[in-house]
Amino acid sequence: MPKRKDEPGFSRRSFLKTVGAGGVAAGVLSKAPAVGAQANAAGPGPVPVTLNVNGKTLRLEIEPRVTLLDALRMRADLTGNKRGCDRGACGACTMIVDGRTVYACSTLAIEVQGKKIRTVDGLASASGQLHPVQQAFCDKDALMCGFCTPGFVMASVGLLEKHPNATPEQIKKGLDGNICRCGTFSRVYEAVASVASNGAKGVTRG
Amino acid sequence: MASRSERAQPPQGQPPQGGGGRGGAPPQPPVDPKYNWPATPRTVVGTRVKRLDGPDKVSGRAKYTFDVSRPRMLYARAVRSPYPHARVVSIDFSAAEKVPGFKSSLIVRDPKDQKTNVVLYQGDEVAAVAADTEEHAIDAARAVKVEYEPLPAVISVDSALAGRAPEGVFPNGNVRAANTQEVGDLAAGFAAAAHTLEQTYSTHVITHVCMESHGTVCEWDGDKLTAYVSTQGVNSARDNFASGLGIPQTNVRVICQYMGGGFGSKLQLGPEGLICAKLAKQAGAPVKMTLDRKEEHLVTGNRPSAAAKIKAGVSADGMITAIDAESWGTGGAGAAAGFPFPYIYHSTPTDTRRRAHKDVFINTGLQRPMRAPGHPQGSFITEMMMDELADLVKMDPVEFRIKNLPPAGPAAMWASYLREGAEAFGWSKRHPTGDPTPGSIKTGMGVAVGTWTGGGRGPSPAHCEIGSDGSVIMRLGSQDIGTGQRTLVAVVTADALGLQPSQITPEIGDTQYGVSAGSGGSTTAASTSPGMRIAALKALEALKEKVAPALGVTADQLVATGGRIQVKDTPSKSLSWADACKRIGTQPITADAEWQPGMTSANVSGAQFAEAKVDVKTGIVRVTRVLAIQDCGLVLNPLTAESQCYGGVIGSLNFALFEDRILDRRTGQMVNPNMEWYLLAGMSDVPQIEVRLKNMPERGVIGLGEPPTVPTAAAVALAVRNAIGVTVRSLPLTPAKIFESLQQKA
Repeated sequence: MPKRKDEPGFSRRSFLKTVGAGGVAAGVLSKAPAVGAQANAAGPGPVPVTLNVNGKTLRLEIEPRVTLLDALRMRADLTGNKRGCDRGACGACTMIVDGRTVYACSTLAIEVQGKKIRTVDGLASASGQLHPVQQAFCDKDALMCGFCTPGFVMASVGLLEKHPNATPEQIKKGLDGNICRCGTFSRVYEAVASVASNGAKGVTRG
Repeated sequence: MASRSERAQPPQGQPPQGGGGRGGAPPQPPVDPKYNWPATPRTVVGTRVKRLDGPDKVSGRAKYTFDVSRPRMLYARAVRSPYPHARVVSIDFSAAEKVPGFKSSLIVRDPKDQKTNVVLYQGDEVAAVAADTEEHAIDAARAVKVEYEPLPAVISVDSALAGRAPEGVFPNGNVRAANTQEVGDLAAGFAAAAHTLEQTYSTHVITHVCMESHGTVCEWDGDKLTAYVSTQGVNSARDNFASGLGIPQTNVRVICQYMGGGFGSKLQLGPEGLICAKLAKQAGAPVKMTLDRKEEHLVTGNRPSAAAKIKAGVSADGMITAIDAESWGTGGAGAAAGFPFPYIYHSTPTDTRRRAHKDVFINTGLQRPMRAPGHPQGSFITEMMMDELADLVKMDPVEFRIKNLPPAGPAAMWASYLREGAEAFGWSKRHPTGDPTPGSIKTGMGVAVGTWTGGGRGPSPAHCEIGSDGSVIMRLGSQDIGTGQRTLVAVVTADALGLQPSQITPEIGDTQYGVSAGSGGSTTAASTSPGMRIAALKALEALKEKVAPALGVTADQLVATGGRIQVKDTPSKSLSWADACKRIGTQPITADAEWQPGMTSANVSGAQFAEAKVDVKTGIVRVTRVLAIQDCGLVLNPLTAESQCYGGVIGSLNFALFEDRILDRRTGQMVNPNMEWYLLAGMSDVPQIEVRLKNMPERGVIGLGEPPTVPTAAAVALAVRNAIGVTVRSLPLTPAKIFESLQQKA
């Protein structure tokens, strides 16, 4: 008798693949273009997905199980936001969707069609002028290896757009969903507080 | 600013001794004075220089290995053992080959090879596959059918030590005893003691949790390999590829422009590097292989556990008379677990100690160096002992420490830092063990010291080029692991040339840029800065020769300052840098130099104070304040150096309170191989941290990445002890453990 043993438990992807892809996708299917022969199911093969990312329309052919993060990183070379834990715990993937910060590693790309998606890649102005939050991170040395930084930047932008005069408590709570292994928290706090101290000048809802 | 990661562990079976007993660094012959670090004033070195690559990192433009994409690139995935110990009986790829997008497969543990078909820990590589997308690679890896014969596993250190664990798992047994080290007359030492303390202290296993997982992109062009690797050493990775693949080093190019944390775990190329290269060769296409978070916890290294059963004697006047210790620890399936003990402090009047150490092998992933290997463990065990001894003789812990330190010197500044810190931290307000304040929130303070060697080594060559357009390149085979090395290259070069850092183009992170050591042991700044400074100054000498005729003087009358080349003390006779460089001609000026002794030294001191609040109803600890006093020789860039200290403190706070690799006692599998149950501090958990960085320019560059992460855990644990009046002698200080200790006392 074979004694093969797979990894215990199941992951989001295997779950979606085996039982849920069609079902999960069904809710948004009406917004999606037709997906071939099977009228009521998307996937498991690639389906057309249209995303509005940083003000541009992005048309992709991806499997319904592909996350927003992986879709942008691996199919559109928008690699600014990172994947740290892949389970919505570290925040390196933080993006802003319709004004709310989301963990892009735990959001399916197909779910956010028709929504306004903002990633760190599009935060600076077209001419390269840094966003005030980005500038503050540079000024306060609020980064070391920098891998978590895009997520922290987006979480900070999301926080300050909502609370331009964020209190110390709001800053701490607002960024508690992001982890930095180099231990840059003290300086991230300084950076965000410096932007909040002048009413988040230059921070406008994108 | 020096490297954050680690040097190799001490030789197996020989636990290192602490940094005690020295009064200063060994004398070094002086470098040619014209190249040495200048006395004040400095224009760039020692000023707060923002990271050159900050804008690239905050905007997502910085391309990490994780972000590298190549045309036709495939994705690879390993098939790993779910068992801590098993024999691979068969591997069947037939279902995997039918997965859409499947391209290639590789057997890592050949069932037919009796020497290598045994896996020794959960996550051990068995096979690997490559496919067109990452999702398909995951599907294909899952579809690989592996038949295992599970074998008895050693899971518990205690069982192994007690002889109750399965035997025959490791070739020379589950426990490897080191030679006992003994110094002085132990019996006489204990006879001189007024009190003796007998206790056992222990620390746990933690993993590195680099935010960017270990990963590689491999691309072949004929028999030449280009590898993008998340590594702390591009040159060592090149060597690992060459020896692992049996190809010449000259056929391998390794590139690492940005990397997302290593902490010691990326000093060596892991098996995933060679698997990736082999799959790429087989598939005839570039292959990317990045580990997921679970793999990262299981197979890319960890900090070994440490424990010691101690007997220590103390005289009535508060002098340690003798220390006798049996110690042990585990670094996993066959790796050492050494740590320094006693750490820094020593007994009087003569050094009197005995140490018997055992490495215990269990079926888990192997340890790798982790930020100041051994020191946080040795610090915790020693400092806990120190407070318990101080209580026995009813002395203040700071005074007790000062009495038992090695003689003071430039490399042994602890007494002065302890006094300064006590004053600044409000130590006089500290109550004796056990906060008498009514209510459930108890407050306490703790203190601990630390050391690290650091220092520079050669050859660490650097190459400087000055072009006729005024551009300056400083090129070396070093890499930036997040400590700010790229910025440091610009700081040192700009300082030598009288320019601003933004005018320098650092070229690092590529084996084509030359040979340099891996970023480990907090040695990068001290190893690379002398070569860079000397190369820049030599290039400047050549430039002065070209400029001198135009200014009507000889070259030795010229200085470079404020972006100009001018006649000494005559600012009116000068040329701008750009105009000066126009005289270079089509061929750039080049200069090369290596590390020279005399511009760097070794051994640093640090002391940290912590204040913690503990809710005795829940056992929850909140660290409220930390003061870190640290030296590192000449401070090249205070801005990034302070960041290293913040990071060190927070890393050690995690070690003390939160992170813990938890194994299932029955299956030997890791229970929390993720980031939601493997706990790390968030911003609300971070205390107010004050960093006091001591600049010691006369000592030259030493290094800083590791020392600030040594004392915090001990200081926090002692603050908790001071708050609740109960000594919790093992890390991490989880609420459950603290609550249980309080219940036992009650």
